[in-house]
Amino acid sequence: MGFEKFLFYVFATITLVAAGMVITRRNPVHAVLYLVLAFISSAALWILLEAEFLGIVLVLVYVGAVMVLFLFVVMMLDVDIATLRAGFIRYLPIGALIAVVLALEIFLIVGPANFGLQQFPAPAPAAPGVSNTEELGLLLYTLYVYPFEIAAVILLVAIVAAIRLTLRRRSDTKYMDPAQQVRVKKGPDRIRIVKMPSERAAVPAVAASAAPQESTE
Amino acid sequence: MIALSDYLILAAGLFMLAVAGIFLNRKNVILLLMCIELMLLAVNMNFVAFSHFLGDMTGQVFVFFILTVAAAEAAIGLAILVVVFRSQQTINVEDLDSLKG
Amino acid sequence: MPFDAANLFPILPEIAILVTASVVLVLDLYLKEKDKDINHTLTLIGLLVAIGLTGAVGGGDARVVFDGNVVRDGLTDLLRGAILVVSLLAFVYARPWLKDRGLFVGEFYVLGLFAILGMLIMVSANSFLTIYLGLELQALSLYALVAFDRDSKKGAEAAMKYFVLGALGSGMLLYGVSMIYGATGSIEFGPVAQAVAEQGMDNKVLVFGVVFLVIGVGFKFGAVPFHMWVPDIYEGAPTPAVLLLGSAPKIAAFALAIRMLVDGLEAIQPDWQGMLLILAVLSMGLGNLVAIAQTNIKRMLAYSTISHVGFIFLGLLAGSAQGYASAMFYAIVYAVMSTGAFGILLILSRKGFDAENLDDLKGLNDRDSWYAAMMALVMFSMAGVPPTVGFMAKLLVLESVVRIDLVWLALVAVAFSIIGAFYYLRVVKVIYFDKPDPDMPVLTTSGGVRFAMSLNGLSLLALGLFPATLLSWCQSVFV
Repeated sequence: MGFEKFLFYVFATITLVAAGMVITRRNPVHAVLYLVLAFISSAALWILLEAEFLGIVLVLVYVGAVMVLFLFVVMMLDVDIATLRAGFIRYLPIGALIAVVLALEIFLIVGPANFGLQQFPAPAPAAPGVSNTEELGLLLYTLYVYPFEIAAVILLVAIVAAIRLTLRRRSDTKYMDPAQQVRVKKGPDRIRIVKMPSERAAVPAVAASAAPQESTE
Repeated sequence: MIALSDYLILAAGLFMLAVAGIFLNRKNVILLLMCIELMLLAVNMNFVAFSHFLGDMTGQVFVFFILTVAAAEAAIGLAILVVVFRSQQTINVEDLDSLKG
Repeated sequence: MPFDAANLFPILPEIAILVTASVVLVLDLYLKEKDKDINHTLTLIGLLVAIGLTGAVGGGDARVVFDGNVVRDGLTDLLRGAILVVSLLAFVYARPWLKDRGLFVGEFYVLGLFAILGMLIMVSANSFLTIYLGLELQALSLYALVAFDRDSKKGAEAAMKYFVLGALGSGMLLYGVSMIYGATGSIEFGPVAQAVAEQGMDNKVLVFGVVFLVIGVGFKFGAVPFHMWVPDIYEGAPTPAVLLLGSAPKIAAFALAIRMLVDGLEAIQPDWQGMLLILAVLSMGLGNLVAIAQTNIKRMLAYSTISHVGFIFLGLLAGSAQGYASAMFYAIVYAVMSTGAFGILLILSRKGFDAENLDDLKGLNDRDSWYAAMMALVMFSMAGVPPTVGFMAKLLVLESVVRIDLVWLALVAVAFSIIGAFYYLRVVKVIYFDKPDPDMPVLTTSGGVRFAMSLNGLSLLALGLFPATLLSWCQSVFV
C-alpha cells in the first residue's frame, strides 16, 4: 500500500501546484497549460479512486476538447497581457486573507476528525472482473435516464447559443449557390438579349460593356 | 492507506485556490473562467472520493453530468467572451465600465 | 426492468415545451423573413398546450417517477402553471420590440423555451442532480438571451457578468451538494431528509454543506450580499431578456429553495433559518434604500427585486407550512408584477428608443390613460397598497414571521416597505402629474399586447380583492 500512498502524494502535489500556477501566471496561455496539468493529475487521482471511466473522460473530453477550446479563444483574442496583470499585487493581501480563513474553516470540517479512516475505512479493491464503465453505463441508461435526456438538451442549448452569439454572415462576402448554377438552362438563364436603341458612333463602346455584366448575375 | 479526508482536503485546497483566484483575477475574464473550471474540478474530486468510500456509484454519475454541463458552460462562456471582445476589443474588466456596478 | 410508459404522463408539460422548442428550431431554418410570425404563434400554442397539460396531469396525490428523479405534487402543478402563464405574457410583450430591432429570429424563442423547460424541470425535481441540471439549463439559456443583441456593448458586458457570477453561484451550490452527499450518502431528497433527521444538528458536515447551499440559493435569487449582478444585468440586458429573467426564474428559484432546504433538509431548519434571516434583512434594507437614488427605471426595478427577494425569504425562514405558503404566494405575485412593469417598458419603447429612464414615463396618462392605469396598478401592488394583491402578499409574509415570535423582524420589514413605497409612488406621480414631452409619438400597440397587459394589470387587482382561490391553492401544497 505504500506505493499507492506515494502516488497519491505525487499527484496531489502536482494538482495543487498547477492550480496555484493557474491563478498566478501572467500569460493566459501558460495558465491554460497549467490547468491542463491540473486536470491530468486529477485524472490520475480518480483512477486511484477506481473511477477509471471518469478519469479517461476527463482527459479525452475535458483536456482534449474544452481546454483546447480555451487555448483557441486565448490565441484568437490576442490578449494584451501586460495591462491585465497591473492590479494583481493590489488584490493579493485580501485574496490571501480570504483564502487562508476559508482554508482553515474547510480543513477543520473535512479533516481526519470527520472523515478519517475510522469513520470511513478504505473499501476493498474491486474484483478484477468488475468494469467501472459498465456499471456507470448501466446506471446512466436505467436509473438516470431522465437526467441523461436533460443533459442532451443542455448540450443542444450550448450549440444553439454558441452559434447564435458568434456566427455572423458578413454582408460583404460574395458566395455562389451551386444548386442554382446547376439548374441554369440553356435559353434565357445564360444569356439575356438587351434591346438597345442604336446610338451614335462614340457611345456604343460603353453600352456594349455594360450589357454582358448584367446578364451574368 | 489514503483516508477520505486526504482527498477532501485536496479538494478543499483546490476550491480555496479557485476562490482566491477569482478575487485575485477580477480583471481578467478568461482567468475567471479558468478559476470556475478549477472550482468544478474540486467539486468533482469530492464526489469521486465520496463515491469510492461510500461504495455508491451515484457520486460518479453526478460527476459525469457535471462534466457535461461544464463543457456546455465553457462553450457559452467563451462565446460570450468573443462577443465582448468584438464589441470593445478588450477583455480587461476595468474597461468594461459602461455599467456602473 | 422494463420501462413504464406511465412514467411519461407527469412530465407531459415538459415534453410539450421541448417539442415546441425543437419544432421552432428546425422550422426557423426554412422560414422566410416575412413568415417569422409563425415562430411566435407556434411558441404561444406550445405554451398554451403545456398549460392545458399541466391541468390535465395535475391534481391528486404526489407521485414520484423516473426512479426518484421526478416528483409531481401540488407544488409542481401550481408553480408550473404560474411559470407558463407568466412566460406566455412575456413572449406577447416582447414581439414588437424584437421586430423593431431586427432581432425577431427563431433563436430568441428557442432559447426562451429552453429556459422555461429548465424552470419546469426545477419545480418537478426530486433529487439534487435533476434540480442542478434544470437550473443549468435555465441559466445557460438566459446567459445567451442577455447577450442576444450582439451589437450591443452593454448587453455583452452584462452577459459576461451574469455568466461569471452565475457560474460562481453554481459552483458554491455544487460544493454544498457534494458535502451533503458525503454526509447522507444520497442525492435524492427523500433519503437525504431521512438521513438528516437521524443525524440531526450534531453533524457539522451537514451544516457546512448547508452554508454553501444557502450561498448558492442567495446567488440565484440575487439576495444581498450576492446581488452584485442584478442591477447591471437589468440595466444592460435587452428588455425582453430582462422580462424573461426577472419574472418566472424567481418562481423557479423559490422552487429551488423549497426543494433543497425544505424537502431535503428541513430537519436542520434552525441552521438555515439564521442565514436566511441575515440575507432577508440585508436584501430588504439595501434594495429599498438604493432604489430611491435610481433614475434609470430598469436599475430601480432591479433594486426593487432585491427587496422583494428579502420578503420571500421572510416567508421561507418562518419554517412553518403557513410561512412556505405565504412565500409561494409572494413569489408568484411578484413574478406577475414584474412582468407587468417590464411589459410597460417594452410598450413604451419603439424603434431606436428604449424606455429606460424615469423621465420616459412622464405624462403617460396623457398619452395612453389605460396603460397608465395598468402601470399605476403594478406600482401600487409592488408598494403593497391595498386593495392590490401586493398588500395581501406582504401581509401574509409578515403574519408568518409574527407567528414565530420575530416581531422585531416584522417591524423592520414594515419600516423598509414604507421607505420603498416612496419610489414606487414617485413613478405614479411621474405618470399622472408630469407633462409629457410634446414631441413624443403616439403609442401604438397591437390588440394582443393591450389584451395581455389588461389581463396582467387587472389580475393584480382581482387577486387583491379575491385572494382566496390562489391562497388556498398555495396552502393546500404545504399541509
